[in-house]
Amino acid sequence: MKRMTKGMLSRRSVLKGSAYAALGTLATPAILRAQSTELVIGCAGSHTAWMEAVVIPHMKTAIGADILFEGTKSSVNLEKMSSNKDAPYLSVVQMDDPVMIQAVEADLLTPITADAVPNMTDLRPDAIHMDGMWCNYVQPWAGVAYNTEFAPDGVPSWSSLWMPEAKGQIIIPSLQNTEGMWTLFMAAMLGSGKPFSEAQYEIDAAFAKLEELKPNLLSVYTTMSQAFNLLEQGEITMLAGSFSSYALPRKAEGAPIDLAAPSEGIFAMPSGICLVKGGPNPELAEAYVNEMLGPDLQSAIADFSASVPANTTVTAGAIIPDGVPIYSPDWAFVAENRRDWIERFDKLMAL
Amino acid sequence: MRRLDHIGLLALPGLSFLAVIFALPLLLLLLKSFQIDGQFSLEEYRLFFSDEYNMSVLWRTLRVAALTTLLALVIAYPTAIAMSRANGIWLSIFLVAMVLPMSVGVVVKAFAWSIIFRTRGVLNDLLMSLGITEAPIRMLFTETALIIGAANVFLPFMVLPIYAVLRQMDSRLPEAAASLGATPVFRFVNVTLPLSLPGVVAGCAFVFSLAVSMYVIPSLIVGERQQTLSMLTARSFLFLRNEALGATISSILLIIAVSVVLGSSWLANRLGARS
Repeated sequence: MKRMTKGMLSRRSVLKGSAYAALGTLATPAILRAQSTELVIGCAGSHTAWMEAVVIPHMKTAIGADILFEGTKSSVNLEKMSSNKDAPYLSVVQMDDPVMIQAVEADLLTPITADAVPNMTDLRPDAIHMDGMWCNYVQPWAGVAYNTEFAPDGVPSWSSLWMPEAKGQIIIPSLQNTEGMWTLFMAAMLGSGKPFSEAQYEIDAAFAKLEELKPNLLSVYTTMSQAFNLLEQGEITMLAGSFSSYALPRKAEGAPIDLAAPSEGIFAMPSGICLVKGGPNPELAEAYVNEMLGPDLQSAIADFSASVPANTTVTAGAIIPDGVPIYSPDWAFVAENRRDWIERFDKLMAL
Repeated sequence: MRRLDHIGLLALPGLSFLAVIFALPLLLLLLKSFQIDGQFSLEEYRLFFSDEYNMSVLWRTLRVAALTTLLALVIAYPTAIAMSRANGIWLSIFLVAMVLPMSVGVVVKAFAWSIIFRTRGVLNDLLMSLGITEAPIRMLFTETALIIGAANVFLPFMVLPIYAVLRQMDSRLPEAAASLGATPVFRFVNVTLPLSLPGVVAGCAFVFSLAVSMYVIPSLIVGERQQTLSMLTARSFLFLRNEALGATISSILLIIAVSVVLGSSWLANRLGARS
């Protein structure tokens, strides 16, 4: 025993070694975090296809980042940011403008600056919001998706949703989903007879018109993929408020669906990107946003998802249908009233 | 006694885990439902119960849970009897058939049911080919579809407790009744059924508790137009960002579930003591 402690190990050295080992073990996560190339991105569930096919490989090559993403609704992303405000785990979030406004009000975002994100200077001026608190990157357009076997002539007007022949054949998005706003605003236009700029504030008229739609509704969705599945199977004939980044790739894959741009107008989806305040790996997060706004990735995403790029140097992406107005609503008004509208909508649509 | 104490310590890891992961968050949730601006208040409960829409959701949730439990019981009881009398390979087949579907995710099952219930789905095709219906009937997004889908998902939780009780029952008891001239119906009503009631009560408690709090199944099968309490809870936390309302609805669900478990436990003890 004596020989062993003298020549090899003493009790003190064992204790000291154990202490260093414990310290090293405890410190390891912090060290790994500091050197990590991992970025956790919050995004929409509908982004999954192009995030996996385009963004993740590009980010690994361009900035050496390993991307993990959580695809869910914008409001769920907001809740994740809010619940983890003291210790954020998301670095970047891609969500819709009305929810961005709520995130700014809750002090959850840090501004995007041209110094850190040079590609920001190539964006359309209207794609930068609240002094850079968030930017639009690509914007799909939204209309009415339809099953081509049941409606070979397309959907000429939003009022087709209200026609008696469409009884039980329609699904619309919940107001919990951003795209749910399109049916509400179009109901406001049809119900009030006013142009969009005024009709978007005529919410009572919108709800009155929506009530007339109830006989035609098979369901109200919060999970878009299920609704598209039912459209493709012919269980329904029209899906209101659908957007190009989901409908047109499905059409290209051979699904018997198409996206109509009705004569009253279509809508610009407000797809935004922001930096989370205090989020991990801030420099890598800025590099990620810079790439998302850069010409290479803008071209690739816009082509993949049939969307309109925000970068003015890019000519790729969706072709906006001719001859129909494109609307972008007052998102501040939406953000201010959305909770009340959701409750009112759920009660109105309940069976 | 001392030995018993030591054995009781074996439950400590499980109890600690449940206390930290389950009981403590529930307690915090319960406290939150009684607070407005840091002050004790019953206002959220008053608001909830005074809203006609909330009451309709509460009633639907209870009705769907009760009917799901009933349907599961009707299907499960004969299955459990068959299982209790099976041996060897047949018993193995029964058990695998019960347990294996539990490894399939509830989302997959709910999607499968939504395919079966379609207007141009398998069930409508079958009904029309058998001449039962002339044209497709709408089944998807109906409460009936929800009850059938939920009963399917929760069926093992009804079968297994009843099977466990029936398996332990002395098989000579119905035989003794038969030897005294009792008819099969009389033997079932007066011997088998009373002895199996503790299993029935336990199964009903399991299925009702699961059905009253299910979220994914109604979300996929009936959608947003027929909300349940769980869907209202999610909506409150995630979309309305109203934590007090979410906590209140969660607490109401918790009270229903605890009442069912305690009530069924009391009933099972009484029935067990009697039998």
